[in-house]
Amino acid sequence: MDQMDKRASKDILKHTEDAQDKLKEDIWNDLDKELFPEKSRKDKHLKKKSKFVPITIAAAAAVILLFSTQTNTGIALIKQIKDIFVSEKQITQSIEGMDEETEVVLQEGKDSEYVIYIDEERYKLIQGETSDIITTKEPLEEKYPEVSMEIKQITDKSPDEIVSTLEKELEAEYTNVTDTERVTEPIEGFKLHGISGSEWDSPVTNVYIVDNKNGGSFVIIEKYFLEAAEGHGARFYAMLQEFEIVE
Amino acid sequence: MHENIITEIKNGNRDAFRSLYDEYASYAIRTAKAITRNDEYAKDAVQEAFIRVYRNISSYEPALSFNAWFYRILVNECIRLLNNEKKNIPVDTAQQKQDTQLMEHSKESVKDLYEVIQNMSDLYRIPILLKYIKGFSEREIAQILELNQNTVKSRLFNGRNLLKKQLHLTEMEEI
Repeated sequence: MDQMDKRASKDILKHTEDAQDKLKEDIWNDLDKELFPEKSRKDKHLKKKSKFVPITIAAAAAVILLFSTQTNTGIALIKQIKDIFVSEKQITQSIEGMDEETEVVLQEGKDSEYVIYIDEERYKLIQGETSDIITTKEPLEEKYPEVSMEIKQITDKSPDEIVSTLEKELEAEYTNVTDTERVTEPIEGFKLHGISGSEWDSPVTNVYIVDNKNGGSFVIIEKYFLEAAEGHGARFYAMLQEFEIVE
Repeated sequence: MHENIITEIKNGNRDAFRSLYDEYASYAIRTAKAITRNDEYAKDAVQEAFIRVYRNISSYEPALSFNAWFYRILVNECIRLLNNEKKNIPVDTAQQKQDTQLMEHSKESVKDLYEVIQNMSDLYRIPILLKYIKGFSEREIAQILELNQNTVKSRLFNGRNLLKKQLHLTEMEEI
């Protein structure tokens, strides 16, 4: 840094001083009110967002299930469960630091055991034999690594029972696997994270293991690449916030 | 940023968030003041940036520098506020003409380089502010502004040349 750089730096710092940290304190007070209201501060925890359908909706779904099995109309069942949720809505997602209003459309997963809202302008849900895959509507060019979010249900194993197996699978596939953590956002459950490299196209994965409240688990596997972390990664995150299990 | 602080923030820990705030707020305020040239905007930008960081920390990718991620959010917020005020300040400054009237500063005596920088085009002004306030490297500035590193290098080079030119003019006048 030469003399001019030093002088420029000094002049800027002189002009941007926050006298007696006034702004700093004002901003913190506002942040504290906004992010940590008194109630939640008392118990030192954020209110956990339940990802499960409220009991009344679950009960309604059960009634629908009962009637639909009597009338043997699987199609009607799907339609009716869909009726419980709004078919389209607008969500605000943060993409690369900017809020973006996005229209999302209700989709049901395999055997109507969960619902999720999908940004259908960019993604599509493909139902498979054992799992569902949300992937880009238009195929990506070959130079890009896979971008997808797979949702599958393991009906006979709880999250605690499968977490170590999935950790090992991730360690075999990715060079850097971070410690498993319990998260409440975008969904409540275990979060596993793996990445191989630090290039723009290094593959990244996030695996969420969610209790299906029936002795089993939902496993959600996000795949994208490093440069897409704040694009596809953020969009998957926003979609996953809208994931609901139909109990 | 320490990984355990980030983990604690993800868990909603207020004290951890306060630690992050204490570490980042002062320079974030300086940066926002310099970019927006307005204390009220600076306050709004910093506040909004921290809210976004708190709410989106789960989407933070540790392979990227936390500094770059934080300052990208902050700078975007500053630019958004400026755009709200003046619709003619483009977000993508790369579209601006690079070699015409780069700054409107007059040839009057330069007492303060801050004024010179503030009269530059955003094309040069914002990378230079990031360099001088926080000492960011070209690579980090490129990550923050989502530009090619060579582009940043060239803008810093041209910006510094403008500063030198202005200083030289002053010195000549003083002789």
